[in-house]
Amino acid sequence: MTKKLDLLDIQGNVLRPYGRFGYPVARYVFLHVSDGEKGRAFVGAVTKSVTTSVTWGAGPDQVPQPDWTVNIAFTYQGLKDLELPTASLIGFSSEFVAGMKNRKDILGDDGPSSPQAWDPIWRENRVTREKDVHIFISLNAHTPGLLEDSYAWLKGMIEASDGGVVLLSGHLGDNNAVMDYQDVKVVMENGLPTAKEHFGYVDGIGDPAVEGLTADPQFVLGRGKQMADGSWAPLATGEFLLGHIDEAGEYPPAPNPILLARNGTYMVYRKLHENVATFDAYLNEHGKHFPGGKELLAAKFVGRWRDNGAPLVKAPDQASKDAFDAQLAAADQQGRDALLSNFTYDDDMSGAKCPFSAHMRRINPRASLEFTRDPNDVPGSLKVSTGAFDTPGALTNRRRVLRRGLPYGDVKDRSRDDGNHGIVIMMLNADINRQFEFVQQQWINYGNDFKAGNDKEILLGNHSADERFASKAVIQVDPNSDQPPYFLSKIPRLVETRGGDYFFVPSMTALRMIASGVVDPT
Amino acid sequence: MSNVAGKSYAMNVITPVRSHLAWVNKVIFWTALKLPSTLKGLITLSLIHYARWVIIGKHQFPHLAPEQPKEALSYSYMLFFSNFNGSWDQYVDSFTFAIPSGLDMFWKWNIRYPKSVALTPFHKYIQYNQIETLHYYNGYPLATSNDVKSAKTVKDALIAFDQTAHEGTDATFLKRYHTLLRGLQHDLGDMYPTPIVSMSAYQVERRTRWHASQLQANPLKRGQQ
Repeated sequence: MTKKLDLLDIQGNVLRPYGRFGYPVARYVFLHVSDGEKGRAFVGAVTKSVTTSVTWGAGPDQVPQPDWTVNIAFTYQGLKDLELPTASLIGFSSEFVAGMKNRKDILGDDGPSSPQAWDPIWRENRVTREKDVHIFISLNAHTPGLLEDSYAWLKGMIEASDGGVVLLSGHLGDNNAVMDYQDVKVVMENGLPTAKEHFGYVDGIGDPAVEGLTADPQFVLGRGKQMADGSWAPLATGEFLLGHIDEAGEYPPAPNPILLARNGTYMVYRKLHENVATFDAYLNEHGKHFPGGKELLAAKFVGRWRDNGAPLVKAPDQASKDAFDAQLAAADQQGRDALLSNFTYDDDMSGAKCPFSAHMRRINPRASLEFTRDPNDVPGSLKVSTGAFDTPGALTNRRRVLRRGLPYGDVKDRSRDDGNHGIVIMMLNADINRQFEFVQQQWINYGNDFKAGNDKEILLGNHSADERFASKAVIQVDPNSDQPPYFLSKIPRLVETRGGDYFFVPSMTALRMIASGVVDPT
Repeated sequence: MSNVAGKSYAMNVITPVRSHLAWVNKVIFWTALKLPSTLKGLITLSLIHYARWVIIGKHQFPHLAPEQPKEALSYSYMLFFSNFNGSWDQYVDSFTFAIPSGLDMFWKWNIRYPKSVALTPFHKYIQYNQIETLHYYNGYPLATSNDVKSAKTVKDALIAFDQTAHEGTDATFLKRYHTLLRGLQHDLGDMYPTPIVSMSAYQVERRTRWHASQLQANPLKRGQQ
């Protein structure tokens, strides 16, 4: 890893999942620009407080870690109303221009996930101009008290914009209260913060290793891209940051001038409701019949055990899980990371350990899409087609996203789906269409690349409630065993989209240019 | 007119190649067919039904009637024809991600071929030289090539299973039934309409109409709701 990035120019949420850096609470606020000139002044004022990716620490020339962080991003409409020149605006990608709502057919946001069912702020977005969402501001804080401080600061800034920007209300909170903001926080267990979401899974383990963003070379194992010789290398910076060379050896398509795009990226903001009662009931029902029991079945849904994220390819049953747990407990930070992240599916090509419809195998098939059937093998087997592609990870490397975000709400009654609980996920990528949308459409809501027809990813798939389009998944078994595969039938919709949009996260330089109105595509 | 029928996409790309170099392409095609290992990547990309490359000499274009004006062509042409599942992007990208050197080998002598990596110039090259499909029929609009292969596997396995289904005890039947299922564990994917691969209004409407007609043709039975 030789590349050095200008961390002072890159916004902090690009580099850091804040939840893992001592910021367990956050608030997402959305604004509408009512006046271009005053709006730009507001952006300029906020920019002075925006948190960068710079390394924190004590000592000379070091930047102290802030009590709370500020980051900012814009929709296409927002950039338009901040009066960027048309010649710059047309350089943004078409899906960013269209926005998440208009991409519902691609994303499979149908039925209970359709935009009519979204929170009011997202339902009303892009309907009438005055309700359009323009600016995203995220505040992450060490404590709830500090979060309130940051919010009071932001309210003051909005006030001082003199009508330049207006706060948009319309996030549904507890008991469907309409809130001015989206609060998120880590899930607590026995008074301690966890990395879990509301279904009980440890989340956020497999963030990609990126050239220039990932400091520790050990971190690249299982997280970067696998090379033809089996070694691992970090993914090209340009997969996640505009203005840098990507995996195709070119600068990602981006708006002009280059300073507007460089060190910026696209962000997908998605609020996902979790149907905890339906999940529990479905898991309990099938857990009664599933050989290996309920917790193993829960692990089969995702590819990792719920309690600590142990990957099924390393811990496919309770006995190996016990051994894995002992290793994990004894390991240092680096060892833990390798245990949890350093693997492919090459030793599990038939899906006997981690099924092909498991969440983790679908969103990141790692270097294991290079597979085929061999008529000489036992029926039900698939195998690696060694050397078929130029590198084993060829079909996966350009489909990765950086995942940020935290759960929202509390599960107060696990017997009900309709509480205020879910996750806000923010995914960063240089090409929304090639990365996020592709994974969502082809790998989550469809299965052909996994030789699974229309079978969807178990957890996030947009499973239909209509019997005529019932969703199922096959939990594969060892082709050399005497077991039958297990069929998960009539999978209910476990996760529903409640809103979101596509944002552009500019660099600090670009923020200053936008604020001063000097964006010049010439 | 549409490039898309059901889950399939038909792509025609015709690119000029210098006539005195066209024989090199023919030798490469011939060699590739003789050495199947060179096509391993192509075959492993299971979204592809097939792909075919043909050289058309500059005097080989059809002249259908005396009144058809004769064209004076400067080049020979390479016709690339493929049917695949998924979107244009997914297909072209899979090619360049997985087998860029193979692509470059086939197209190397074509005029202004930019190489398959970087991606944007390659996308443009294909777009500029693609001929839209005028008529496209698909006998199995819900099926991908993987689905067709799986259906054949399932059918053959079921027929074989049925030959001896009546023999043996209940216990051996169950054991054999489990073996059947295990052997078919990668062949039992659902077949429903395709994810949207083209945002053309025609494709979006046609998909919606298909869905509606399915619902009408298969009303819910009593008790299913």
